[in-house]
Amino acid sequence: MSDGSLRLSVNGREVVLDGVPSDERLLDTLRWRLGLRGTKEGCRTGGCGACTVLVDRQSTLSCLALAHELAGRSVTTIEGIDVDPLGRTVRSAFERTGALQCGYCTPGFVMALTGLLAERERASSFDELLEDLGGNLCRCTGYAAIVRAAALARQERP
Amino acid sequence: MSVAPPRPDAALKAAGRAVFATDLELPGMLWGALVLAPVAHGRIRSVDLAGARALEGVVAVGHADLARLTGGLSGDAERPAFPRDAVTYRHQPVAAVAAPTLERARAAARAVTVAVDELEALASLESIFPDWPGSEAGRSPHVAAHVRARKGDVEAAFREAELVVRETYRTASVHQVALEPHACVADVRDDRWTVHTSTQSPFGVREDTASILGVPESSIVVDGTWVGGGFGGKGASLLEPYALLLSREARRPVRLALTYREEFLLGRTTLPSVVRLETAVRSGQISARRVRLLLDVGTSLPGRDFATGYSIGFLLGPYRTPAFEVEGYAVRTNKPPFGPHRAPFAPQCAFAVESHLEEVAHRLGVDPLAFKSDHLWREGDSTPFGQRVLPFGLGEALGRARETAARWTREAPPGHGVGVGVGFWSTGTGAGGEARLRLSPTDLTIVQGEREIGSGSVIVGLAAVAERRSGLPRERIRVAYEDTAHAPFDSGVFGSRTVGALGRAVDEALVTLLGRLAERVGGAGPPTLAVENDEIVVRVGSTERPIAELLTDAEREAGGLEAEGKHYGRGGTIDESLVLDGTFYAYTDFTGAAHVAEVAVDPETGTVRLVRYAAFHDVGTVVDAASARAQVEGGVAMGIGTALTEEAIWSDDARLENAGLVDYRIPTLGEVPPLEVTFVSGHAGAGPFGAKGLGEPPIIPVPAAIASAVRAAGGGHVTELPLTPERVARAVKPH
Repeated sequence: MSDGSLRLSVNGREVVLDGVPSDERLLDTLRWRLGLRGTKEGCRTGGCGACTVLVDRQSTLSCLALAHELAGRSVTTIEGIDVDPLGRTVRSAFERTGALQCGYCTPGFVMALTGLLAERERASSFDELLEDLGGNLCRCTGYAAIVRAAALARQERP
Repeated sequence: MSVAPPRPDAALKAAGRAVFATDLELPGMLWGALVLAPVAHGRIRSVDLAGARALEGVVAVGHADLARLTGGLSGDAERPAFPRDAVTYRHQPVAAVAAPTLERARAAARAVTVAVDELEALASLESIFPDWPGSEAGRSPHVAAHVRARKGDVEAAFREAELVVRETYRTASVHQVALEPHACVADVRDDRWTVHTSTQSPFGVREDTASILGVPESSIVVDGTWVGGGFGGKGASLLEPYALLLSREARRPVRLALTYREEFLLGRTTLPSVVRLETAVRSGQISARRVRLLLDVGTSLPGRDFATGYSIGFLLGPYRTPAFEVEGYAVRTNKPPFGPHRAPFAPQCAFAVESHLEEVAHRLGVDPLAFKSDHLWREGDSTPFGQRVLPFGLGEALGRARETAARWTREAPPGHGVGVGVGFWSTGTGAGGEARLRLSPTDLTIVQGEREIGSGSVIVGLAAVAERRSGLPRERIRVAYEDTAHAPFDSGVFGSRTVGALGRAVDEALVTLLGRLAERVGGAGPPTLAVENDEIVVRVGSTERPIAELLTDAEREAGGLEAEGKHYGRGGTIDESLVLDGTFYAYTDFTGAAHVAEVAVDPETGTVRLVRYAAFHDVGTVVDAASARAQVEGGVAMGIGTALTEEAIWSDDARLENAGLVDYRIPTLGEVPPLEVTFVSGHAGAGPFGAKGLGEPPIIPVPAAIASAVRAAGGGHVTELPLTPERVARAVKPH
């Protein structure tokens, strides 16, 4: 089942993993092989966004991505978010606006918003940004506080 | 931009460092999986675990193992961990397995052979009572509970009425959709049955688990983790008994978690209903109401009385009703048990009664909101069941909502409609709780047994109560959690009761503690706490003393001065002479909200888009403004789902057809409109400083408000939830 060893860069650190099955999802590699459980397991079908990570600074659903497909790529999880000044700004915006309740979707939102801000020009509209956050679900906040966090992060982005 | 002070858990959660039950890993831990029944209804011939046990490192448990694992004690006969004879819902757990990897656990679950003779499944209310409400449900064997009450001469009122309106409403099955699936890790050693779990009620799980397994409560320790959303779905035990049995068998810790698909399949939540409402009007006033309810309760045992007896009052609504007859049937089907879902079944009740009274007003040719306002209970009135109405701000909330609705209606472009919904609720301040406080020279610690489920009611609400009572700034107040072996008892974080009931226990403990300090200081006046030179001081009148100087050696040794508080509330009473069958319930307080929705409706497609929304809430006293606002924002969004998109679809053979977040659609960011939140004050509740609960009320008026707005926009009078495009389009052009 396994396809030899897998090399990944995770949060700036090179990791080499043996015995990773070819069908293993990145989500499981991160959570159970590397112990990075800030990335949350939600629906596992790409429908909730709780497992969002960055792959080469692009927002990616780790429940749908196969670990082996990402060999050699650079993965950032919530545990490594502060290394990126933009990521730190976004995380801090969620914290300061209290844009969370149960907190289960929060790491996914922080990663998704970081990825979206990284790929967009400063001039692109706030409404478009919010539209692109539509793949991340939150059941507690009604999104109002998340919109406030997104506005703050966009305003303060480095 | 202005920024509210962050919640105490904000840094931890934003950094992904909060450890949820799904994140736990104990040394030597095995992975568990459930063996689920392949049919919705059937007679079990055998459950053969040999295939699973043949796999390396696998343990398996089924019905035959229960006595051996629990020491021969008998469990709850009504709620056995595993069924012995009959499967009563599809995906009911019939055995459980654990293995060194999740993959092998799943393989082991597949290797269990379940032989069942399939029987016909009772799938829906319509299949059991096809002609209802044209026929009576009567004494059918499918009726699990029956309630009936009446007051006054209902027949005469209907005979003499100038207008009678009769309507039938239907509501859908909705799921809580907490993003964190159920999960726990059990760790049984000797006679100590420990389970780390995501729960709204550690003590409730202890009690349930003890009952189901037949193990003494004193042997079970429930340790709550952070809860990734509850909404009622994590109030009772679900996985814990299975994980504990597996751990007992394996002599190792066992993790058991649901996949999200299983979360839908096994979840205990709101099931469908059919509601028949009849109203008689004389001299422009309601003279009598008849309410009949068919409520699907699945295989529910614990919820069967409450679901009908409590809900039916909400179908009368918070309106003066001189004569009434109510009758409710809890109908057994082959679905998972009915369970609580944020303000259980109240949004559905409010949708039916509010839409119905709006229809009555339209037929009378009067303004629906004036009609409702005229009939609304005021403080000191009597409810239809004869309970005196306690301080109640819903009239004021409705008045404010009417002003907003009038303004929005003037401003609305063609194709838009503005509607108002009213929601009444009584918060669960009757359920008891206890807290222990410890005051050191530098901190005040609140020791209690609830984990934060997200609303902030525990870590923000309890601290806010202590701040308000003592004057001590929030950053010096710590809300500490202990497991069931160490914490004082509490009923659970449900029923909007945390601030109202557990908060009262905290307040009582603090009053006791401050009283002891005042005795030591002497002087006259109410004692308060403050911080001077980084140390906590107590002030009584003009006297001020540091806490450090007031502690005995023993107290210093124990970490501070301790005090305990308890709150076991009492509800009101109803006129029992009105009750003909079953149980009806009194309210502990009177709260509610009036919501205003503006929608745009496409009459061709029936698509409804929310434009803006305003919520006016009676919460008695706001103890923490940011959390209160956040509760309303979240509750309204959840209600939008109930109103527009959420519907668990059950097939004719009781199979859930949309068990996943792609097919069962909850609101996304773009679907929740801008929201104004207003609190009306001055109508004190039973909680500390007159607070009322706020976890549940915000969801209640939402479907009613949106249905009213859809009608105002020309979308027709829809009598079924959710208001899907198909139903709205059909109501626009009835055939």
